[in-house]
Amino acid sequence: MERRNFVKNACIYCLGATALGATFAELMSCSTSGLPIYKTGEVKNILVPLSLFAQSKVVVVRPSNSEFDILVVKKADNLYNAFLMECTHRENPLTATNTGLYCPAHGSRFDLDGNVTQGPATEPLQYYKVIINGDNAAINII
Amino acid sequence: MKKLTLLILIGFLPYLNASAQVLTPQDSLNDNLTANNIKSTQISGYGEAKVQYDTRFQTADADLTRNVLYVGHKFNNKISFFSEWEVEDAKVAGGQLGGEISLEQCFLKFNLNRDNYLVAGLFTPRIGIMNENHLPTTFNGNDRPFVETLIIPSTWREVGVGLYGDIRAIPGLNYSIGLVNGLNSAGFSANQGIGGDGLFEGRNATASNIALTGSLLYYIQNFRIQASGYYGGSAGLTQRKADSLQLESGPFGTPVGVGEFDVQYLTKAVTFKALGTIVDIPDAYEIDRAYANNTPQEMIGAYAEVGVNLLYFFNKTNERKFIVFGRYEYVDMAAQTPADGISNGADRQKYIVAGITYLPIKGIVIKADYVLRVSGTPNSLLNLNPFGPQPVYYTSNGYLNVGIGYSF
Repeated sequence: MERRNFVKNACIYCLGATALGATFAELMSCSTSGLPIYKTGEVKNILVPLSLFAQSKVVVVRPSNSEFDILVVKKADNLYNAFLMECTHRENPLTATNTGLYCPAHGSRFDLDGNVTQGPATEPLQYYKVIINGDNAAINII
Repeated sequence: MKKLTLLILIGFLPYLNASAQVLTPQDSLNDNLTANNIKSTQISGYGEAKVQYDTRFQTADADLTRNVLYVGHKFNNKISFFSEWEVEDAKVAGGQLGGEISLEQCFLKFNLNRDNYLVAGLFTPRIGIMNENHLPTTFNGNDRPFVETLIIPSTWREVGVGLYGDIRAIPGLNYSIGLVNGLNSAGFSANQGIGGDGLFEGRNATASNIALTGSLLYYIQNFRIQASGYYGGSAGLTQRKADSLQLESGPFGTPVGVGEFDVQYLTKAVTFKALGTIVDIPDAYEIDRAYANNTPQEMIGAYAEVGVNLLYFFNKTNERKFIVFGRYEYVDMAAQTPADGISNGADRQKYIVAGITYLPIKGIVIKADYVLRVSGTPNSLLNLNPFGPQPVYYTSNGYLNVGIGYSF
């Protein structure tokens, strides 16, 4: 096969395979894959069921009228932290995993305490206090 | 081609709407987490300067390598503006060599939802590490990796649109796809590859050529893994002109393909980076015939770097960093030369870089390093003045660099 055709076809097929593979992964996903996501309406005090932390030590909270998600991290049985998932470098949305938060735009990294572990960000994440309220973790948004 | 393009677009449609996992309804109050429609303007920037001593010629140069001013404006929660103005070498004076003023980026960003956003304008596609992550406080060495300067011509920016987002079903997985203007094959060269005049960088770019870029970026544990690709045309001519030069016209005519894969392992104590890339120009023979610019048919490059933050072992909470690093790079800008090209040994280079990177506080960096460059022997056929004094070229040369950098 001519090199030109090979390169052309290879790129097309790689892009197609990427799209198909990602689509397949998304369609096959269920609530057990990915981080738990808790959707909520506009609130000042968000109540997150503690039962969500049975499957993951981090939960993504999605207030309906907020520009960014909030990541709630279980540090210990009665100790939780919450951070706005907005990169403090250029205000890009962060990607969260069980080990930290990452900005795909310019490479900044934050640990699960919200501190910068890799620049170019220099400021820690916006922190929200979390208190235990019965069976819920209450995030106090000021 | 059309069917497959449609398939690719359909494949990414699911990510334009956040798939909901609604678990519990919640009463709502009137307050918002982030106030809507608050306009704000942000100014920041970065820059670097260095002094370099050439151990062979025993001369030194001092240069304000670059200063970049970032101006951004948030119109509302959905639409923002980003721009970066760059001045290289401190001064641009008419008629004098050196110096450059340019827009490194200038685009509008549209937040489609919390997982996906669209950019439109002049932007840097996600190819390699440096193209997006090039602030001096984020890499070791006074010079950016040579593979990502010579092979992947960072910072490589073009005009177009890009779609970015994360795939929530797989935590840590991000994607990007872009449609930008193509390259300028008339500006290709042996020692700059597709860089230099091969890039339009937003100035009078011909959109007769277009290019597709795509990447997958995955974070897992302390690893950052990325694969990216580029495929685009480079003729930029009407069919009549292309035919007269015997070049292929059309959106993807006279194509260029770029592939890249990199892995990073990043902890507070140790960092590791490895990257490999290949550039393929299948019509290099035709380009050389048309422009006599010695375009290579294939270029390859790779590097690996290890860094250790010594201060971490004395105090794990110390925000200061003192990194000792070493990097090996292989650059072959003439991996394949077309039959009508001239292979030059000097375009095959190896670099060994070793030094220290000190960050007294976040945003400030002081660097010192030694660069050993080893190349092949230059091809004497490329010496256009064989009867005059020939410039001295050392196949092995060392450079001492000391510099500073900042970002805020």
